[in-house]
Amino acid sequence: MIKIENLHLSYQTDEGMVHAVRGVNIDIAEGQFFTLLGPSGCGKTTTLRALAGLETPADGEISIDGKLVYSGPKSINIPSYRRDIGMVFQSYAIWPHMDVFENVAFPLREMGGRMPKSKIRDKVLAALSLVQLDGYEDRPAPFLSGGQQQRLALARALVKEPKVLLLDEPLSNLDAKLRDEMRTELRDLVKRLGITTVYVTHDQLEALTMSDVVAVMETGLIVQESTPFDIYEEPRTRFVAAFIGQTNFVEGKIDAAANGAGRVGSVATSCGSLRCILPDGAGIGDAVSVVVRPEDVYLADQRSVDGDNMVTAEIAEIVFMGETLECTAIVGAETMRLKLHPSTRVEAGQSIKLVFPADRCRALAS
Amino acid sequence: MATRTLDFPKMRFDRRKLNPWHVTIFLVVTVLVAVPVAILILGSFSNAKMPTDFTWATLTFANYPEVWLDPGTYNILYNTVVYVAGATFVGVSVAAILAWLVERTTIPGKIWIYAGVPLALAVPGLLQAMAWVILASPRSGFINRFAMDKLGFESALIDIYTLGGMIFVEGLRLVPTAFLMMVPLLRSMDPALEEAAYTSGARPLSTARKITLMLMAPGFVAVTIYQAIIALEVFEVPGVLGMPADIHVFSTRVYMLVAEAEFLPTYGQANALAMLYLGVALVASYFYWRLIRRSERFTVVTGKGYRPKLTPLGKWHYPAIGFVVLFMVLAIILPFLVLLYTSLVKTLQPPSWDVFSTMSFKWYSWVFDYGRFGSTLTNTFQMVFATATIVTVLSFAISLIVVRSKFVARRVLDQMAFMPHAIPGVVMGLAFLWAFLQFDKFTGTAMFGSIWSVVLVFVVSFIAYGTRTMNAAILQIHSDLEEAASVSGAPPWRTLWRVFMPLMMPSLVGIWVYVVLLSVRLAGAPLILYEGRRTEVLAVLIWYLWDDGEWEAVAAMGVMLMIGLFTLVLLLRGLGFGRSMAQAR
Ligand SMILES: Nc1ncnc2c1ncn2[C@@H]1O[C@H](COP(=O)(O)OP(=O)(O)OP(=O)(O)O)[C@@H](O)[C@H]1O
Ligand SMILES: [Mg+2]
Repeated sequence: MIKIENLHLSYQTDEGMVHAVRGVNIDIAEGQFFTLLGPSGCGKTTTLRALAGLETPADGEISIDGKLVYSGPKSINIPSYRRDIGMVFQSYAIWPHMDVFENVAFPLREMGGRMPKSKIRDKVLAALSLVQLDGYEDRPAPFLSGGQQQRLALARALVKEPKVLLLDEPLSNLDAKLRDEMRTELRDLVKRLGITTVYVTHDQLEALTMSDVVAVMETGLIVQESTPFDIYEEPRTRFVAAFIGQTNFVEGKIDAAANGAGRVGSVATSCGSLRCILPDGAGIGDAVSVVVRPEDVYLADQRSVDGDNMVTAEIAEIVFMGETLECTAIVGAETMRLKLHPSTRVEAGQSIKLVFPADRCRALAS
Repeated sequence: MATRTLDFPKMRFDRRKLNPWHVTIFLVVTVLVAVPVAILILGSFSNAKMPTDFTWATLTFANYPEVWLDPGTYNILYNTVVYVAGATFVGVSVAAILAWLVERTTIPGKIWIYAGVPLALAVPGLLQAMAWVILASPRSGFINRFAMDKLGFESALIDIYTLGGMIFVEGLRLVPTAFLMMVPLLRSMDPALEEAAYTSGARPLSTARKITLMLMAPGFVAVTIYQAIIALEVFEVPGVLGMPADIHVFSTRVYMLVAEAEFLPTYGQANALAMLYLGVALVASYFYWRLIRRSERFTVVTGKGYRPKLTPLGKWHYPAIGFVVLFMVLAIILPFLVLLYTSLVKTLQPPSWDVFSTMSFKWYSWVFDYGRFGSTLTNTFQMVFATATIVTVLSFAISLIVVRSKFVARRVLDQMAFMPHAIPGVVMGLAFLWAFLQFDKFTGTAMFGSIWSVVLVFVVSFIAYGTRTMNAAILQIHSDLEEAASVSGAPPWRTLWRVFMPLMMPSLVGIWVYVVLLSVRLAGAPLILYEGRRTEVLAVLIWYLWDDGEWEAVAAMGVMLMIGLFTLVLLLRGLGFGRSMAQAR
């Protein structure tokens, strides 16, 4: 549905060139909810704007629904207004000189060929009811709350039933509670309409809960692209692991290569030798970071044996969070965060034995 | 009486109690603004020959029919309308094009345009008009002489002593302020509003028409009204260009009624005429304010502050640059060069090779040897410094009350301080003339005929500018900052001194310098109040010398004045007024 190949884009600024996008490749299937996730300044917005035709790339190709809309080599650049898209801006960009109805009717009035008034009215009202803004059509647009403006922007983007919906951090201006509600509501809505959606955010929770596919960007490049589950469970780089969820890193060197199923090998670290899943093609002696999620660690019991990555730790700090017990533990030279079951009885200063399950530990090239 | 009360009732009492300081400022502003206007209104109903003859027995309605049954009045009305509409149209359109070019296109050298256009503020209307007389008066203007002597034209090519000439010169003069108002207007618009239209399927032209233009409209109309008020009140340009050809507008007519008063006292008529003038200006200001208020509704939360996409100029590249250069030449460079040339020649004549060899600083020595120059310079410095200082201090006091206090009449105070903005300088001069003469009659002092009369009129005229700028500056300083200081244990006066003043300093100095710039340029009110040597300021001296035909001397003074003013404008920029502009690109 959407295909971006080798996209490059730079900005000319007073301080020189900023190479904001450096060879991005994306392939999005019809009806997919695709999310670009990454820290501030990594080029998510720039990529989205190139897709919308609001920025002119330096090189690459973009096609929407099989139609080439931009091509560097072939010198094709279809302007925004002729691309079949709807877009929601971070600031919503609601036109303050129009009322709600006129804002939504605008894209219809701009469509080639005259649409009868009654048809425009039907479509606008349908779009407004889709985002639950029925009855607001005569309200001047500035007299809407933040959440309502966001819905209005969505209705405006959807009213001409575009093939593709582009959303740039649409929830970031809302307060926390509204954001929680809108997450599910927005996903349900676009899924119900079956519209292909590209969503930009720096909020991992939004990315994980809403998307079919998440692409993590770092300094103008996509570093990993997979389902939310895989992104969380199998981060491919240290950056991805650190960016998504809480993570403990333990630095070390591979001392035993992967043997057989699961690519499990062994890494020598300051906490002792840890058995973990090794990256493909890693050899003995390679420096790696072992990634352990706080919630995967548990207290050793009678059934635990030494071979299970059992380490001795000292609890430094305990914070009771209700559903979990968050602890900081000193393991060898490392400080690690743990999420234990709230019923666990531990005290600060106590020496305990912890298990890092080998199939939950992942070594990444560092 | 209880010697000790609980804290709570005491606090409530304090709140209601009027701070004597607030009351004093309020009374001062009332006396300065309301009293002269009241006397002006009263005077319009009096047939007293001179303001000093005023008694309640002289009250009559006769002045109004006198003025309004005179067909000449309608002629003036027509001239004024044409002149104000024309000058505003020229000024605002040129400023809009310049602002759009720097904000939204790929024109090169933007920093020069941001710095250069406001430099036109340093060319006083008086000198701008005089330079154009030297260039384009029908008989001896350089351009016309060249056309007739060298190109063989039968008659003058252009005549600057016309409504068209006045529109052209005043239009040029309006550009810098209009430009400074329009740039933020363009800049504050969220580019996403236009982009949203593109992604909705609107073509660029359709977007420009339905989105950009509509969003700009309220601000644009406000700028237009504001500039029209300025054009309406300006005296210098119609005074130099219109009066010699008997083309009168309101401001020059009011001046004439007063200036000829020595032979034929018509003060009451001048007042009656001023009433309409005042009425028009007040109505225009009222609409201006309504628009400003309405446009606040239009302010939009902007997302990330990246600059909007710039329109490539393409084949318009060179015409655009040419347009900017042409403006700079016509508004700044040419007037300056013409005056410089005139100040260096023996007697005024069109440029030729022979003339260049005879150039000297003769006229500069003439100016310094001229008896009236020294006292005028002293007067001017005194007047300018006093005006700027009083305006700055008074505006600060007023704004502090308006923005930060709970004084009951703070809204009235704010409105009263703004009202003089709508009162044309000539009318203000007339109102104060009456006020001073009455004041002197009752107290036996000599306010009229002292330089302080000019200072007071200018203080009242610029207080509107001062408080508006100051309100904004104080609002910007979050009261948390002061509260943080008090919580840290600083007593109020130390908070004011240590936290507030340093933050306010750029605004205070900026207002001071700007008022200096304004007050040294204006001739209208000082001419009305002119009463011998002790009230003579530079603008007045230039006016009279020009009248006497000493154009070379005027040019020499003009050149020195303009150099001083250029320095001030650059100083203003250095102080950060418009620094954001220079930084932006
Ligand atoms: N109009 C512009 N002019 C110059 N540089 C720009 C412009 N827009 C973006 N950049 C630069 O390009 C890089 C990528 O910016 P982009 O807006 O795509 O980041 P982002 O991933 O959307 O970040 P955020 O999460 O903060 O929105 C940044 O370094 C930014 O400073
Ligand atoms: Mg962004």
